[in-house]
Amino acid sequence: MNRFKDAANMQKVVAAIISILAFLIFWHVGVKYSSLSKLLPGPIEVLSSFLRSVVVPIGTATIGGHALWSLSRVFVGYAVASILGIILGVTMGWYKSVEAIFRPLFEIIRPIPPIAWIPLAILWFGLGEITKYFLIFLAALSNVTMNAYAGAKSIDPVYVGAAKMLGANDRRIFLSIVLPGSVPHIFAGLQVALSSAWATVVAAEMVRSSEGVGGVIIKGQEINNTVQILVGILAVGIIGFVLAIIMRRLETRLCAWNERGK
Amino acid sequence: MRMEREREIKENVIECKSLSKQFETDRGVADVVKQIDLDVKENEFVVLFGPGQCGKTTLINLMAGLEKPSSGQVNVSGKIVEKPGPDRGVVYQTTALFPWLTVMGNVEYGPKSLGVSKKERRKRSQKYIDLVGLTGFENTFPSKLSGGMRQRVGIARAYCNKPIVLFMDEPFGHLDAQTRYLMQEEIMRIWEQEKRTVIFVTNNIEEALYLADRIIVLNNCPTSIKREYKIDLPRPRDYVSSDFLKLRKEISSVVDKAI
Amino acid sequence: MADEIKVKVENMTKSFGNLLVLDDVSFEVKKGEFLCVVGPTGCGKTTFLNCLTKLYEPTKGQILINDEPVNLKRHNIAYIFQEYSTMPWLTVEQNVAFGLKIKHVDPAIIKKEVDEVLEIVGLTAYKDYYPVELSTSMIQRVVIARAFATKPELLLMDEPYGQLDIDLRFRLEDELLKLWERTGTTVIFITHNIEEAVYLSENILILTNKPTTIKERLKNNLPRPRVVTEPSFINIRTRVTDLIKWW
Repeated sequence: MNRFKDAANMQKVVAAIISILAFLIFWHVGVKYSSLSKLLPGPIEVLSSFLRSVVVPIGTATIGGHALWSLSRVFVGYAVASILGIILGVTMGWYKSVEAIFRPLFEIIRPIPPIAWIPLAILWFGLGEITKYFLIFLAALSNVTMNAYAGAKSIDPVYVGAAKMLGANDRRIFLSIVLPGSVPHIFAGLQVALSSAWATVVAAEMVRSSEGVGGVIIKGQEINNTVQILVGILAVGIIGFVLAIIMRRLETRLCAWNERGK
Repeated sequence: MRMEREREIKENVIECKSLSKQFETDRGVADVVKQIDLDVKENEFVVLFGPGQCGKTTLINLMAGLEKPSSGQVNVSGKIVEKPGPDRGVVYQTTALFPWLTVMGNVEYGPKSLGVSKKERRKRSQKYIDLVGLTGFENTFPSKLSGGMRQRVGIARAYCNKPIVLFMDEPFGHLDAQTRYLMQEEIMRIWEQEKRTVIFVTNNIEEALYLADRIIVLNNCPTSIKREYKIDLPRPRDYVSSDFLKLRKEISSVVDKAI
Repeated sequence: MADEIKVKVENMTKSFGNLLVLDDVSFEVKKGEFLCVVGPTGCGKTTFLNCLTKLYEPTKGQILINDEPVNLKRHNIAYIFQEYSTMPWLTVEQNVAFGLKIKHVDPAIIKKEVDEVLEIVGLTAYKDYYPVELSTSMIQRVVIARAFATKPELLLMDEPYGQLDIDLRFRLEDELLKLWERTGTTVIFITHNIEEAVYLSENILILTNKPTTIKERLKNNLPRPRVVTEPSFINIRTRVTDLIKWW
């Protein structure tokens, strides 16, 4: 059986490599043989500039340094949002009184994209770090909360009944049944929230920053350096991709019990 | 190996008096459980036998305290049942094992909820894990176990709280026919080793006759008692002995047909 | 001819990597025969069926229908599995007619066949209902009626009554036998349930545990309708149980 799986995986990897190579070739050829070269540098230029930026700083830091700036901002906003969101979401899903109070608020706030908050955030917190933490927090909060809420709401009543019959009181049921039972939903929420947070940090940095990958992009625009813009974009993409993979790995470990098979 | 067991006449462990349950539907009020009068003695193995899905689970839920009756009452050990409690244990058809806990975690959940010390509850849980034949699987997650093994965990978990009465709601319904035979033998072995009062629900006549001291034949919608049979056959019983087959024929002809 | 061979399985072997599941299985099924296949829990019954339906290619050996290799386009084979698979967007009548419609059979004939089959399974009154409105046993009857409506030459059934109440099971088994008698289809019916195998079959194939081979083939000449509590029935049932019993 494993032989089939390996073969199928091999095929997927090969297909991915071919598709990316094809894209790069198309890009290269398109730029070389058209008048786009002013607007769009070729892939070789971008990639070599990217690799150079690993060692040679752009502005105040190497690309690695910029990445760390962005990630640290994400970390603060995301961590606060996750903790608050999980607690709020699960209690909302389990206790009707909490639901009645908070759910309408969330339904109003949820559709507002974090970017719309930028002007208000700048007014309140200025152009410094707190603004960025605040925006990232907003971006992540709604996702984590609503998913945690869905998780708590979808707890199978049979588990609750079984716990009651085994002598568990309400508090124990909340801690030992509702919380663990919501973990798969919570995790889905955390994954979406992380993507949101990462997207938001780039936007927040583009407002005003000299460090961070968003800063790299906006600086590139200011000095008319298209290559730098693309290097920034490439960095955003790579880091986003790596974050997603990390989350998926974590999920396989933390939700290992969640296999189908009743 | 034929064994006769003397059973002392003891006080009733469970008494149902005119137990009834109705539900509101769009078509008005529906009787789901109607006028159940039932007395069960200590360590009796009573089987509720009947077709269909109508009210058997509701009846179990009423007796266990997971639902409140519309009228009538249930007494366990002389006290009225008003809410769920650890003196009554339940084994579910879907096992309802907590998937995020290991076998040990599931089995010790009851004692842990009741504040039993770690040392004591580990000891007790291990005893019941051994009793159901799952020694070595203490740290396995339910998703990695077969259907029959999961049900054993369910039984161990229910037993571990030392309940006065065990309710089993079609626990072997999702198992294939052969594993079912195995589990019937296993539940008998477990029950003989640690006697409890058991109320066991099934729609399988062979299973009912193999296990029961008494078979209560239920009507389908609404669930009510049709007839009672005392089963005096010595254990372990033989599915194809002439006495067994005679009873099987008789009870099958009495029971309602499902749709 | 009553003795015509419909299905011939020769030396069917299947391994997955190093795991040998089916080991040199050979048997024949006559035209119109009702063959039941039983084995201990965990024997390669599903693999067995998947090889017959060509879902898996056997590692060795071949499967012949009417003396030619199995060809899903030429041979009219129907399958019924444990998962109840009606089309939820079609009514009962439309579901049952589905196979015939695909073959572009004349609509008048379709109506006649469908009506007769619905009568046998007792669903005439429900023919305009949608599957979501039906009970599990009724859905399974629709699936079986649909299979028989096309008058298949071979019908493969894998534990279709696994989860049903016992008396429902008996009723559906009787309906199955009526459908079988009406169409003369060759049936290979796989089950864990020994009583069911003895109730339905003309022949019983008994499999061993993995690596799976044929332990024995029993002839079942009991007159129909069969009574499960009768001594002659019990005899055969006990014999099969002894050959399989692992518990």
